[in-house]
Amino acid sequence: MIDFDQIDKTIHEKARLSIMTLLASRGEWSFQDLKAELGMSDGNLITHLRILTAAEFVKEERDDSGTRPRTTYKLTTAGSKAFKSYIDLLESIVKTLKPES
Amino acid sequence: MSTQQAALENLRVIRSLMEKAHIYRAISAPAALVGGVLTTVVSSVFLWRSFLKWSPTISASSFLIAWLGVLAVTTILNVLLLSQDARRRGQSFVSEGMKMAVRSIAPAMVVGGVLGIGLVIYLENFTLATLIWIVCYGLALLSTASFSPRSLTRLGWLFIITGLVLFWIWASNGDIRLLPSDEGPASFAMGLTFGIFHIGYGIAVLFSKKPEPLPAE
Repeated sequence: MIDFDQIDKTIHEKARLSIMTLLASRGEWSFQDLKAELGMSDGNLITHLRILTAAEFVKEERDDSGTRPRTTYKLTTAGSKAFKSYIDLLESIVKTLKPES
Repeated sequence: MSTQQAALENLRVIRSLMEKAHIYRAISAPAALVGGVLTTVVSSVFLWRSFLKWSPTISASSFLIAWLGVLAVTTILNVLLLSQDARRRGQSFVSEGMKMAVRSIAPAMVVGGVLGIGLVIYLENFTLATLIWIVCYGLALLSTASFSPRSLTRLGWLFIITGLVLFWIWASNGDIRLLPSDEGPASFAMGLTFGIFHIGYGIAVLFSKKPEPLPAE
C-alpha cells in the first residue's frame, strides 16, 4: 500500500519538478540556460529556485570573475536523493494504475 | 486529476525534459539559411554556364575552390552563431554537446571530404564527388541522431535518400554520365541538396514553436 503523504510537496509542482529534472540531467545549469529551456520569467524562476535552495535540494554558485556575473545551479546530494525517491514513488503510484498482467 | 494521473503526467514531464536536456543542435538555422542561399547562387551560376555551353568548362581547381569557399564561409558563420548562442546562455562554447557532435560527425565528414576531393582533383569526376559529399553529409547528420533535434535527423535522411536516388539516375543514364562536362549535373545536385534543403531546414527551424511557459506558483 502506497502512502501518498510520502510525496515530496517541494518537488511535486510542475515548475520545480522541471528545474529538478534539468539539474539532474546535467551537472550544472546557468540561470539564463534554465530560463531559456523552461520558458519561465525571471521572477517565476527565481521564486522556484529559492524554494528549492531553502529546501537544500539546490545549490547556487555565483561567479563574478568574468565581465558579467554568472549564477549557476546544481543539485545537492540531498536533492539528488529526493529526486530519485520522488521518481521511485511516482513509478509505484503508476503501477497501481496499470497492474502488470 | 487523480494522484495516479498526476504521477503519470509528471513522469511524462520528466522524460520529455530529460530528452530535451540532452539535445544539441550542431547546425544553427541562420547559418543553414545563409549556406543554402550561397550554395544555390553558386550552383545556379555553374548551371547557367553549363546550359550556355561556355568554354572553357570549369577546371577542377576552380570547382573545388568555389565549393570549399562556400563551406568555409558557412562553417565560420555557424561557429560564430553557436558561440554567440552559448555566450547568451552563459555556457562554454566547447560544451559536452559540441564535443559529442564533433566526435560523431567527424568519420563521415573525413571520408566524404577525402574521397570527394580526390575524385575532383585526380579523376575530374565532379558528379560522383558531389554525390559522395551528399551521402556522407547525410550520414554525418544521422550519426548525431541520439542527441539531435528530430529536424536534423530528417535532414540527414533526406540527404541520403536524395543522394542515392541521384546516383542511381546518374549511373543508369549514359546521356548524363557521358556529357562532355559534368559541371551541370554536379551543380544541380549541389543546388538541390546543400542549397534548397538547407534553406528549407533553416526556415522550418526559425518558424518552429518555442516551448510553452510554465505556470507561476
